[in-house]
Amino acid sequence: MDHFARLGLPAALDLDAGALDKAYFAQQRLWHPDRFVAKPPEERARASIEAAAVNDAYRTLKDPLARAVYLASLNGVEMPADGKTIDDPDLLMEAMESREELHEASTIAAVDTLAAKARDDMKSALGGLSSLFLANDRPAIRKALLRLRYLDKFAEEARARRTNLEAKG
Amino acid sequence: MAYSEKLIDHYENPRNIGSLDKNSEDVGTGLVGAPACGDVMKLQIKVSPEGLIEDAKFKTFGCGSAIASSSLVTEWVKGKTIDEAETIKNTDIAKHLALPPVKIHCSVLAEDAIKAAIADYRAKTAKKDEIKDAAE
Repeated sequence: MDHFARLGLPAALDLDAGALDKAYFAQQRLWHPDRFVAKPPEERARASIEAAAVNDAYRTLKDPLARAVYLASLNGVEMPADGKTIDDPDLLMEAMESREELHEASTIAAVDTLAAKARDDMKSALGGLSSLFLANDRPAIRKALLRLRYLDKFAEEARARRTNLEAKG
Repeated sequence: MAYSEKLIDHYENPRNIGSLDKNSEDVGTGLVGAPACGDVMKLQIKVSPEGLIEDAKFKTFGCGSAIASSSLVTEWVKGKTIDEAETIKNTDIAKHLALPPVKIHCSVLAEDAIKAAIADYRAKTAKKDEIKDAAE
């Protein structure tokens, strides 16, 4: 059973956050260990497996990028596994240049400007995914998701850089 | 997790950080990334007319093991021919730096980067030869 089906939700890129939370809490209650205390061991074991799967589904679907990557995998888009490298020059040049800019940013304001741009880029890239999924354009979906991975990493690094600058005061 | 002295040395005092002119005819540039961890690595070589690697530079945004792996590779390839440099294996890098198993992929990135730089240099030379042939 895929993560969407497990929570009884349509397999879609855009999920209503409220509906997701509601479905998750309902499933969590359903498989809660308290309800299985007096049940035979097989049922208790099954409940704990189900509860873990529900948690896993929720974690994946709650994050927009993780959800997009997951939906892509359901649609047959293969992402590079851990330890696999890519050599897409446009994407890597963009990643390299933005990381250089961040490295050189010496004030919190400069870091915030770069982080805001990365957030905007992520938002528009996520927005652009819908039409790619509609057309089931797998190579384009893969490319967009790889770029989103790098933007996400950039946002993470920008947060770390900001904390670092704040500590220096 | 205990890291080896060699790894820490390359991480704290990375060799050959910087850039070469990517448009220069005798410079090969390799740009590779590991999307799973968001690492990006640029490795460049400057090759003499005899095919010897005279200089090597790198720029890596990634974890300490990725930085150490690329630093080590730039040190290793200097003075080698491009054919020799091409035989560098990620396992050699991982062994030399005693990379922990979860960081082996960083050495893969460095191997792919030097291979990409050599391929870029070869493509440039081939193109140059074509133009020369056409002119003759």
